[in-house]
Amino acid sequence: MMDANEREIYRAAIHGDRDAFEMIIRTHSRTLFAIAYGILQNREEAEDAVQDALVKAWKSRWRVRNPEKFPAWLCMIARHRARDVFRKRPRVSQTDLEGVAAATPTIYAPDVANTSASLDRQLHSALAELPDLHRSALMLRYFEEMDYASIEKLLGISNGALRGILGRALASLRKQLRPALASLE
Amino acid sequence: MTLHDDIDTYLAADLHNELSADEQNKLHAHLVECATCRKLHQETKSMNNILEENLAAEKADPTFEQRMLASFRNRIPQRSGGLTKLIFDLMRLRSAQVTAVAAVLLGLVQVGRMVTGEGAAPARKLGYRDEHHFADRQLNAPFQRSADHSSAQASQLAAGRADALIASEENSFASAPAAPMTQGEKDKIIATEDRREFATKMAKAASAEAALAAQAKPAETPAVVANRKLIRNANVELEIASFDDVVQKITAFASEDGGFIATTSSNKQANGKLRGAVVVKILPENLDRFLQKIRGLGELKNQTLGTEDITKAYFDTDARLKNARVMEQRLIDMLKTKTGKVSDLLQVEKELGRVREDIEKMQGELKFWDSQVQFATVTISLAEKDMEEPAAFLLKERAQLALYAPDVEKVYNDIKALASPKTQITNAQLDRDNTGRVSARLSILIAPEESDAQIARVKTMGRVDNFQVQTERVAQGGTGMSQNARTKRDKVELNITISREEQEQAFQQTSLRIRTSAVDQKSKELRTLTEKQNGRVRSSTFSRDPDGREFANVSLRVPMKNYPALMESLNALGKVENVSVQRQDRTGAQIDEANAPADLSIQVYSQGNIVSHQSGLLATLRRTIAQSAGAIMWSLRMIGVAIAFLAPWVIALVALILIAKRVAQARRQR
Repeated sequence: MMDANEREIYRAAIHGDRDAFEMIIRTHSRTLFAIAYGILQNREEAEDAVQDALVKAWKSRWRVRNPEKFPAWLCMIARHRARDVFRKRPRVSQTDLEGVAAATPTIYAPDVANTSASLDRQLHSALAELPDLHRSALMLRYFEEMDYASIEKLLGISNGALRGILGRALASLRKQLRPALASLE
Repeated sequence: MTLHDDIDTYLAADLHNELSADEQNKLHAHLVECATCRKLHQETKSMNNILEENLAAEKADPTFEQRMLASFRNRIPQRSGGLTKLIFDLMRLRSAQVTAVAAVLLGLVQVGRMVTGEGAAPARKLGYRDEHHFADRQLNAPFQRSADHSSAQASQLAAGRADALIASEENSFASAPAAPMTQGEKDKIIATEDRREFATKMAKAASAEAALAAQAKPAETPAVVANRKLIRNANVELEIASFDDVVQKITAFASEDGGFIATTSSNKQANGKLRGAVVVKILPENLDRFLQKIRGLGELKNQTLGTEDITKAYFDTDARLKNARVMEQRLIDMLKTKTGKVSDLLQVEKELGRVREDIEKMQGELKFWDSQVQFATVTISLAEKDMEEPAAFLLKERAQLALYAPDVEKVYNDIKALASPKTQITNAQLDRDNTGRVSARLSILIAPEESDAQIARVKTMGRVDNFQVQTERVAQGGTGMSQNARTKRDKVELNITISREEQEQAFQQTSLRIRTSAVDQKSKELRTLTEKQNGRVRSSTFSRDPDGREFANVSLRVPMKNYPALMESLNALGKVENVSVQRQDRTGAQIDEANAPADLSIQVYSQGNIVSHQSGLLATLRRTIAQSAGAIMWSLRMIGVAIAFLAPWVIALVALILIAKRVAQARRQR
């Protein structure tokens, strides 16, 4: 399952070994960032969320009983933290966002829409439509190139369910971006 | 579900390389067949590319981890962490958690118990108080009644004492209906206490009333006495200075008031004090005056006054007597006429005898009553002051003696041999423990006249370490002090402990060293010297170390009086060094200093011969090499030092020469 060395590091961190915990920060903060970014879709906010999550994890590390669950637990904290940030975000009403999204194609000329900037914007609005679990899974896959099993473990998804999630996520994105894709080809 | 329906999943997994070989084959087979899926496959591929391109830009930058670490360190400053770590570890332990929960529960239970316990206590108190009030209310009624009763009594007894009233009132209260109420013992006690308090108050009031009545009464009393038959008697208890004087005075008072002394009795206590009683008969009308006079004779301890009204019984008896007289007269008349049968006459005679007997009895009764009524009876109990003064004192002497003796058993037997009728050994005990230490304890009772001589004799049997005498004066037949009581010496109790001299702590400790060439011989000499000075060698050791030095450690003990002589003689053995003397002055102790033991610990030693026992060729060679190696190392060090000194000068000299050569060269070229 998990190699003994890694396990020992988690155990030490749980028992208050700062060096071990910093080691975990080095190895895991990117995945945490991916998860937070998946939820927040904003780099600065995601970074803050990861920082908060790490501090919180350090303070309540004694709650973890099984060292093997430590990474999953970290991810959970990061996810909760990101959701909190998302909820506390000064509300830009949904209609406004849609208005902006709807307005863009009319403002820019069709050939401008073909540019990568436009595609980028469309991609983000399509991502925003997805459930945040799907987004987090996508980010872990595309940021960190993790295999399905690891992602499942980190996100606490049952074995084999990730396939369906990613499949549906990709299909949904594909449908949203079909015009852009068509024009790209 | 067919592959076609689930094509999205398969396509994504294919792109992410998460399909098994089997699944991959199936997918490819399907893609060949199905055009729709092929199209989707194409689209998904480009979608994947877009994602890869776009999201790569959003990835965390390379310094991300560093930033995370820095912010973490910033926000959680490094702490010493010993305690927090411990607490964290404790919190993780299941047993610690269980204990904590148990402790909290226990605390809660305790708090609950305290709360309920305290809640219950005041409630009980309240209830009790209510009952008490109830009791008071209940009691008030009899108080009213008894108040009336006591004022009546007060008017009856002209100069009555309050004490008597209290006594009678207490009796009446005891039978009052309030007493057997359904309350606890405590309540009853409180109630009686309240009553007592009330009674004393009432008694004060009553005595005031009585004083008033005493002024008003004297004129009235004779009239009352005239038609009523009252028996009055009084008991007085007095504490006086001298019995005989007081009896004389009482006689005088009695004759003044038309009375007489009926009986006197007295007995003498062991301490010479008299106690006794005088019974005085006095005219009832003078009784109160007489009592007043008597009170002046000494300290009044107790007084009771009693009155018995026998009016009804007296006149009943009187009437019956009159009837009996008439009966007698009639019977006598019958006999005089002498008519009728002889048997009838005998009957009459018998009846007459019975009637006359009755008449005599009744006359005697009336006479007794007359005498009782005519004279009031005053019983005066007299006791001289300081009755409790002790008659004699007993001097009890207890002595503790601790002895040190060389032969405990011998002394023990010697002391036992002292036994005689006047010297009794009550307890003797000889202990020997497994290390051979012997000690003995004896308790002796000695007749007072022999005690000093015997104690002195015992003291000579060993060295006295400790002697204590304790004298106690015990009063007999009383307490307190007395100036004229006799003092008697009791038997002296002597407790002796005997220990072996060895166990005694030395009075003075000396340690010294003697340097000599012949250790063995000198230590033997030391032994004889010690014996000459009446001392004993307690232990000795002899040792020789590898260098050939010899040591003999001798520790010995001599009596203090021989100590200077021994020290003097030690000089003959060799050079005396390092003398240190330690003396233990026991302050306040009277100790037999001349015989007290002095300990000496002496080390006799010789300077070893310097020749080593390692004298072989190899050893010599090794030593030589070692020495020469040392010498070479030393010279090397010296050379180093010399170079350090000279080097700068050499360098400076060479430099100077070089410069001079250059200058000379330059001149030549020019």
